[in-house]
Amino acid sequence: MTFVTAGAVPLPADTRSRRIRAYRSMARMALKSLLAYQTSFLFGMLASAFGVLSMLYLWRSALAAGPRQGFDWPQMKAYLLVAFVVGSLVSSYTDYRMANRIQQGDVAMDLVRPVDYQWSRLAESVGFAVYEAGTAIVVVLAAAAIFGGMPPPDRDTVPLFILSALLVLPLRFGIVYLSGLLVFWTQNYVGVQAARIALITLFSGALVPLAFLPEWMRVIATYLPFVGMASTPALLYTGSLDGSDATTAVLVQAAWAVALWWLARLMWSAAARKLTVHGG
Amino acid sequence: MEMVHARPVTLIQVAGLRKVFRKPEKAPGLRGSLRHLLQRRFSEHVAVDGIDLSVAQGEAVAYVGPNGAGKSTTVKMLSGILVPTAGQVLVDGLVPYRARVENARRVGVVFGQRTQLWWDLPVRDSLELLRDMHGLGAARYRETLARLDDVLGLADLLPVVARKLSLGQRMRADLAAALLHEPRIVYLDEPTIGLDIAVKDRVRSFVRRLVADGTTVMLTTHDLADIEDICRRIVIIDAGRVVYDGDLQSVKDTHVRERSMSFELAAGLPGVDRIAARLPGAQVRAGSDDRELTVTFDRMTLGAREVLAAVLAEAEIVDMHIDEPAIETVVRKVYAGQLRPEPDGGVDRETVS
Repeated sequence: MTFVTAGAVPLPADTRSRRIRAYRSMARMALKSLLAYQTSFLFGMLASAFGVLSMLYLWRSALAAGPRQGFDWPQMKAYLLVAFVVGSLVSSYTDYRMANRIQQGDVAMDLVRPVDYQWSRLAESVGFAVYEAGTAIVVVLAAAAIFGGMPPPDRDTVPLFILSALLVLPLRFGIVYLSGLLVFWTQNYVGVQAARIALITLFSGALVPLAFLPEWMRVIATYLPFVGMASTPALLYTGSLDGSDATTAVLVQAAWAVALWWLARLMWSAAARKLTVHGG
Repeated sequence: MEMVHARPVTLIQVAGLRKVFRKPEKAPGLRGSLRHLLQRRFSEHVAVDGIDLSVAQGEAVAYVGPNGAGKSTTVKMLSGILVPTAGQVLVDGLVPYRARVENARRVGVVFGQRTQLWWDLPVRDSLELLRDMHGLGAARYRETLARLDDVLGLADLLPVVARKLSLGQRMRADLAAALLHEPRIVYLDEPTIGLDIAVKDRVRSFVRRLVADGTTVMLTTHDLADIEDICRRIVIIDAGRVVYDGDLQSVKDTHVRERSMSFELAAGLPGVDRIAARLPGAQVRAGSDDRELTVTFDRMTLGAREVLAAVLAEAEIVDMHIDEPAIETVVRKVYAGQLRPEPDGGVDRETVS
C-alpha cells in the first residue's frame, strides 16, 4: 500500500475556482460553528434587543412634542431599526477570535492553510453575518410590532439604500479586522476593542443620529469611515438623504471599504514580521 | 553548501537562517509599564542563529535539541509562518514566507501542541473544509481518507467535535488533517507529545510508512525513541546553531564510545578483580547478586570479543547482552554543552548513505 509517492501526485495549478470554493466553505463552516454556540449568541442578541427597545422608548417620548433636527417619530423609529440591523453585522466574533488566536499563537495554524489570511477572515465574517442579520431582523420585526409598525423605505432611494446596506459589511469588516491586527502591537485586546466599539457607536450615528451632534463633530464624522456603518444606510432608508448628497455618501462608503482593505493589507505585512509564536 | 553527487533532488535548502525576536523590556509594576510607554526599550533574543541545512527528497531528518534551541522556530520559518530576520530558505523551489499559500499546498505541518482542527466542528467538517481548501476532488478525497482511516483509525473520530477528543484522538485527527492533500514534505513538530505508549507506537509506525513511501519528513521531538524509530539522519541544534548534522549511527559511534555488556553467570563469583585485571581500562561491576556482572568499556580501546574472552576465562556464562548506546546519551552531551560547533564554523557533516 502506498500513501504518498513524492511527485506522483502532480500539484494542479492554483485556480480561482479552488480559492472561491475554499472561502465559500469557510463561510459555511463559520456559520455552522456559530450555531454550536447558539445559546450564548441568543443571550447577546437579547441584550442588544433590550438596548434597542429602551432607545425606542426614549426617542418616542423625546419626539412626542414634535420633530427635532428633521426627525419625526416614525422616521426616527425606522432610522434606529435600520441602524440596528446593519450594526449587528460583523460584530465582535471576527476580531475577538482573531486577537485570541494571535495572542495564543494559534495563528500559526491559520498560516499553514493554503488560503489568504485576510480573505479567510472576511469569508468567516460573511458566514457570521448571515446569522447576525437573520437574528437582527427577527428582533426588528418584534420591535416594529411593539411600536406600531415600521414605515417602508423611501421609494426613490431604495436602490442606493440596498447598495449602501451591502457596503456596511466590507466597511465594518475593515474596521474590525484592522483593530484585531492591533493586538500585534498592544498585546492586550480588551482596550482596543472597547475603543473601537466606542468610536463606531459615536461616529456611526447608531446611538444618536449625527444631526444631533455639534456642527464640528458632524463635519469630522462625514469623512470618517464610521458614518457609512449606520447613518448612511439608515438615512437612505428614511429618505432623509437624497440627490447628490446620497450618491456622495455611498461613494464615501465604497471608497472607505476599499481603502480599509488595502490599509489592512499593509498592516498585515508589518504584523507578519512582528509575529512571535512562543512554544510549539 | 556542497552537494553530494549521489543525492537526489534537494527539497529543502536553508542557508544562514536567522531569527531574532524583539521583546519589550519592562521594569516590574505600574511604574515600569508607564516608563515603557515613554521610553520603549527592547531586548533581542536570537532564536535561530545562522542555520545551514539541506534536505533531499525522501529523507527523514530528526531535528533535535534542548528546549528553546530554535527547533520550532526553524520549522515555522520553513512552513512560512515566520519571516526570517536574515538568511535564505527555499522549500521545493519556493520561498515559504513569500509564497505562503503555494507553499502550504505542498507541505503538511503538525504541531503537537496545537491543532489544525476547527475546535467547534466535528472532525469530518474540518477535513471537508481542508478538502475544499486544497481543492481536492471527491474521488481523491474519498480514497485518501480511506487510506488514512486504515492506519489512523479515523472512522470513530469523524463525527466527534474536535474539542471533545482525547489527546491521542486529536493527534490522529491532526495527522489526517495535515496529510489529506498528500504533501511531498511533512514537518512534524513533537507529534508524540503527551501521548501514551500505544498511541505513540501507532503514530510512529504511521510516520515510518510515510517515509517508506517517499515523503520527505522533518521530525522535531524530545522523544528520542521517535528518532531511532523513524530517522537515519539527525540534526542537533543548540542555542540556534547546528552542532551536529549527520548519520544517526555515526553520531552514536563518534560520540558514544562507551559500551556495556551484562552477563548472567552459572555460579556466583567471589570477586571481580580477576576479570578486571584482564581488562585494563574497563569498569567491572558485580550486579545486585554475585551471579550478575556488568563490564563498561571504551569501544575504541577494547572490543566486545576481548571482554567476552576475559569473562569466559574466569566464569561460565548463562546469558549476556550488549547495551546499544542510546541517542539519548548523545543529546544529553549536547545539552550539557559537551558538543560544540567546530571552530571553523562548520559542523562535522557526514554524508548520508
